[in-house]
This record gives sequence, C-alpha cells and structure tokens, in this order.
Amino acid sequence: MHGTLFVSGNSGLHRLHPLTKLALTFLFLVFAATLPNLLWLLAAFVILLVPMSAWGGLLRPFLRSCLVVITPFVISLSIIQGFFTPGETPLFHLAGFVLTGEGLLAGLTVASRILMALGGALLLMLSTRPDMLMLALTRSGLPGSLAYVVLTSIQIFPRFQERAQVILEAQQARGLEIKVNIFKRLRLLVPLMGPLVLSSIVDVEERAMALEARAFSRPGRKTSLLALADSPGQHLARWGLLLLMLALIGWSIWRAISS
Amino acid sequence: MKLSFEGVFFTYSTGVRALDGIDLSIGSGEFVAIVGENGAGKTTLVKLLNGLLRPDGGKVVVGNWDTAEYSTAQLAGRVGFLFQNPDEQLFERAVQREVAFGPRNLGFSERKIASKSMSALKTVGLADHAEDNPYDLAPFERKLLALAATLAMDTPVLVLDEPSIGQDAAGRRRIGRILRELHTMGSTILLISHDLDFCAEYAERAVVMANGHILADGLVEKIFAQNDLLQRAAVFPPQLVRLAQALKMPTAPLKVDQFVNAYSQWHRRKKRA
Ligand SMILES: Nc1ncnc2c1ncn2[C@@H]1O[C@H](COP(=O)(O)OP(=O)(O)OP(=O)(O)O)[C@@H](O)[C@H]1O
Ligand SMILES: [Mg+2]
Repeated sequence: MHGTLFVSGNSGLHRLHPLTKLALTFLFLVFAATLPNLLWLLAAFVILLVPMSAWGGLLRPFLRSCLVVITPFVISLSIIQGFFTPGETPLFHLAGFVLTGEGLLAGLTVASRILMALGGALLLMLSTRPDMLMLALTRSGLPGSLAYVVLTSIQIFPRFQERAQVILEAQQARGLEIKVNIFKRLRLLVPLMGPLVLSSIVDVEERAMALEARAFSRPGRKTSLLALADSPGQHLARWGLLLLMLALIGWSIWRAISS
Repeated sequence: MKLSFEGVFFTYSTGVRALDGIDLSIGSGEFVAIVGENGAGKTTLVKLLNGLLRPDGGKVVVGNWDTAEYSTAQLAGRVGFLFQNPDEQLFERAVQREVAFGPRNLGFSERKIASKSMSALKTVGLADHAEDNPYDLAPFERKLLALAATLAMDTPVLVLDEPSIGQDAAGRRRIGRILRELHTMGSTILLISHDLDFCAEYAERAVVMANGHILADGLVEKIFAQNDLLQRAAVFPPQLVRLAQALKMPTAPLKVDQFVNAYSQWHRRKKRA
C-alpha cells in the first residue's frame, strides 16, 4: 500500500487482532523505557522482536528499516555521550577530548532504547493494514476522530519519508549538490524542508475535505466492509500484556526508589 | 545535445522491472514525445538522464558524458527537468529567487543569473510577479514558475513530465509556444504526456512505451495514425486522427490547418468521382 509500511501477508502475525498487536507495541515501548541496561534491551530485541518479525515473514524489511533509522542515532549518540560523559576508562583521544567507556555505554544504551521502541512500532506497522487498525480502535470505543489521529501519526513517518525523497530529487535536478560537508549541509535544509512542510499542510487540508465529503463526522454508528477476527485467547492475552506493562512500570519505579 | 540509452534495464527495490532492455537514441535538437499507458516506464526512463536513477544494466549517455560518471547536480547543467508537481520544489519567498536557485547552483555569474531568470519569467508570462511569494500564485501559475525555473538553467536538453496537465487553453498554448521556440533554437526536448493532441501539435517524433519496452518509434504522423498500435499501448488517439478514420480519409493529418486542407481536397476529389 502506498504511503504506508504495510507488507501484505498471511502469517500468524498478520492475522493477530490489531489491538493485540497494538498492546504488544505498547509493551515494547514500556520495555524501552524500563529495562535496566544495554544487555537486557538487546536481549529482548533479539529474543522477542526479531523472531516475531520472522514469524510474520517480515525479517528483511524489519531489519532493514531498523538499521536505516537506528544507525544515525548510534553514531551521533555514541559521539555525543562518549565524549561528553566523564568516566574512568578512556578509550580514545581526539583533539583534547576523551572518549570514555562509560560515555560510550550510555550512548549505546539510549540508542538501544530507541531501537526497542522503534522495533515495536515497526512490527505493528509492517504487519497491520492501517484501516484494520482504525476499525479495531473505533470498535473498541475510541471516537472516530481520535482513531484517525492515531492512524495518521503512525502513517506520517513513511509519508514524510516518501515525500522528502521526491523533494530531494526535484532539488538535485535543479543542480543542488547534496554530497557536501556538514556546514554546507545545514543550508540544504531550506530547499528541502520548505516544500516538505508546505506540501504536508496542503495535504492535511485536502484530506480533511476528502474525509468530510465522505461523511466522516456524521453522527451514529458506522458499519464496515472489513471483518475483524478476534478470539477469547487474544482477549485474555491483551489483559495479560496490560498487566505485564503495569508490573514492569511498577518494578522500575521500585528500583528507582530503592536505589 | 545527443542522448542515448544502450541496453538499459531498471528494477525498483520493490521488484518492479520498470525498464526491460531499452535501446533508444535521440539526436541533437530533436523534439520527442514519449507516450504510453500508466506505469509504462516513461518517468523512470527520463530519470536516468539526470542520474536520479541509475540503470541496473546498460548505459545512458548525455552528450559525451556517460551518466554513471556524473552526479545529478552535475547532470542538471545539461538536462533540465520539469516535474509533474511544482509544490515539490518551490521554497523561496519570492518568485525571482525561486527562478535564480537553479542557475546559482550551476555557478552562473550574478549577471547571467539575473538575465536568465528575468528572461525565463518573461517567457512564461510571470515577469509581473517577480516579487510575489510563490505560494500566493495559483496552481497553474506555480507550474509555469517551475517551468521558468527550469528554463533559467539554460540546459541543452529539456525533459517535461506532463507539462500541459491542469492548464487552460491559454496556458497550454503558451507552453506549446515556448516548447516550439526552444525547439527552433536547437534544444533537445523530451515531452512525456498522455495528451496526444498536445504531443501531435508540437512534437516531431514519438516513442511509444509499454511494460518497460519500446513498442514503436517514428514520426508522430506515422505513429499516431496506427490505431491498433495505440490501442496496444493503451493510449487515446488524437481527436483529428479519430475523425479522419471515421471519415475514412486516406491520411490523418495532426494539425487543424493541415486537416482542413487535406479534408477539402479529399472531399472535392470524392465529389468529382
Ligand atoms: N518509486 C517507485 N518505487 C517502486 N516502484 C515504482 C516507483 N516508481 C514507479 N514504480 C513502478 O515502476 C513502473 C513504471 O513507472 P513509471 O512511473 O516509470 O511509469 P510512467 O510511464 O511514468 O507512468 P505514468 O503515466 O502513470 O506517470 C510502474 O509499475 C510503477 O508502479
Ligand atoms: Mg510518470
């Protein structure tokens, strides 16, 4: 589907009820915020997220998207935290600055938290049709307009990425050299961000009108063409996931208090 | 400037093979229309000319440059591009500066930048709007502005993706006239369009694409008169061709004045017989 990350398929992961997958995404978000250190985070990623993506037949797109997004974070966080966190174990000297082992570890830990949250969101986006998710959300009582907000925020990343690519091409075709040094790179922001922001605003306005033209805010119950498959097991699992999240949050608060 | 595609293949990362062995050469100063159904590979083909896409196999040559050895920004000095959607490129606060962006990137002198931008704005009829904000222009004017921005770069090759779309009769004629003038001044022009009436009126050669292949290539008069070919390529024949065929005329002229002449001759001959 255009403008989304969804990859169609018929795996178990694809067939899970959207809310179950949403609960998993939130669980991984809680993981990202509460797991105590790098080892835990990476272990959870390798033991849970990677096999889940493989279960959905999504290993390649999952790892590719993770890599693309996380690499700049790993590099910038390692440098920033590495050089500016004081510590006992100097690893590397550069122009009077010292890269410390503690700093590097701190940088990588933050990056792995981002990776965890990102991975959770990606699993959901790659395996769930956006309209199915929206339907599941409204069925469970979320107002349509709010469900729409959730949906667009999930989709905004791939849409932005797609549009940014097109703008980049258009400006390169006008002779804009993009392989330049870091300082000149800042100047590139104007020709790239300008059209991105403006065309996105136009897009939002058009979408709002298109929605209204199709009676989006009409009161009353709406029916849907799509059928959602749920099961008592999944229902139970979602409550389980919720409890697990609460437990994790409790645990991390307890750790914070007792240390 | 000469262009050539030699055994070119291109596959998108999604696995869609958009170009499947293209051999095409275009002489300096030719005006070529590229037509074909949605998804035929037209846009993909022309994006290879300025390195926005790189072929998986084969070679694309612009003048004496093998595109593999040059960046898009470098190729931009030779191949000007008008994209379908102007909103994807306009960003300056004033029309004048928008037009100057390309020439400045190409390293023209300040004097040349000023003169090229002003004459480009005059050509498209936006000289009075030089100080306006591009976003205050109407959509069809933004398209003309994007065209001016491309013209100001003064490239020997010009590629236009659907320039006539969304334009009223005056805009369409204006764009047609600009293209014709550039053509007489020796520019090499590639025009992608689903509007065969527009192509028929201005281009001299037509390349018909389908499924990443070139189905046919020749003079517009010859190509656009072949109903079965156009049907296979899923494009709609020009009105005059359909009219000539409905009348069972022996020829199918593409321009109104030519049609009128041919029709009255044929009609007279038929009456006499
Ligand atoms: N960015 C992309 N990623 C993946 N596939 C693409 C991309 N752009 C185009 N395609 C696919 O490549 C094929 C050729 O597309 P292309 O845009 O070159 O066609 P076109 O002849 O310009 O069509 P149109 O007349 O609709 O503009 C199509 O099947 C299209 O879906
Ligand atoms: Mg196209």
